[in-house]
Amino acid sequence: MDALAMIQAYTGIGIGLIIGLGAAGACIGIGIMCASFLEGAARQPEMIPQLQGKVFLLLGLIDASFIIGVGLAMMFAFANPLLSVVAK
Amino acid sequence: MTQNSSLVTSTAAVFSKMLRLQLIATAIVVIVSLLISGMHAGLSALLGGLAVIIGAFFGSKIAQRNNKNATAVLMNLLKAEAVKVILIFVLLLIVFKVYKQLVPFALIVGLAAAALVSGAAMSKLDKTDIEI
Repeated sequence: MDALAMIQAYTGIGIGLIIGLGAAGACIGIGIMCASFLEGAARQPEMIPQLQGKVFLLLGLIDASFIIGVGLAMMFAFANPLLSVVAK
Repeated sequence: MTQNSSLVTSTAAVFSKMLRLQLIATAIVVIVSLLISGMHAGLSALLGGLAVIIGAFFGSKIAQRNNKNATAVLMNLLKAEAVKVILIFVLLLIVFKVYKQLVPFALIVGLAAAALVSGAAMSKLDKTDIEI
């Protein structure tokens, strides 16, 4: 198998791992946080409006790693820097 | 002002603080990229940061909907997050497809700065809680 095909094949596997593991981690984190939010809301319903903003900010933080992963995956999909080695 | 409306105001203040911090972080990255790598790097960093800021803006509009039921609040927050992620994905896809002279590393740095700095608005949230 030539170098170009090898790089493209392994890049495809890498993109899948970046997106898949990132999504799995984000989903586990969001699940734990939502469970904690529901537990807190059940204990003290008057705290729901105060928790709302905090939960959204933490959702953003949990998803930040996934969003960065998506950006990196798109970079490897559309502008793969590893292919420049073959082009020379 | 009732307690409920003041809490809604504080949530809106937190979201506006979050968007302001993201804009500042993006601006810093754009200036650094412009100075280091030139026009296209600066524009790429700006596009990366703007993708996150636009997603966060529309997400925060959905998240601000006021509900007293915990399940409804949670559903709104999850909808907001889904809208945010889908918007960011679509905007990044458009940028990568359309902008031919893109500098990918600058875009990633702008994206990461805007995504990570949103959590810094937690400090503002604590202050508004105390003020109320």
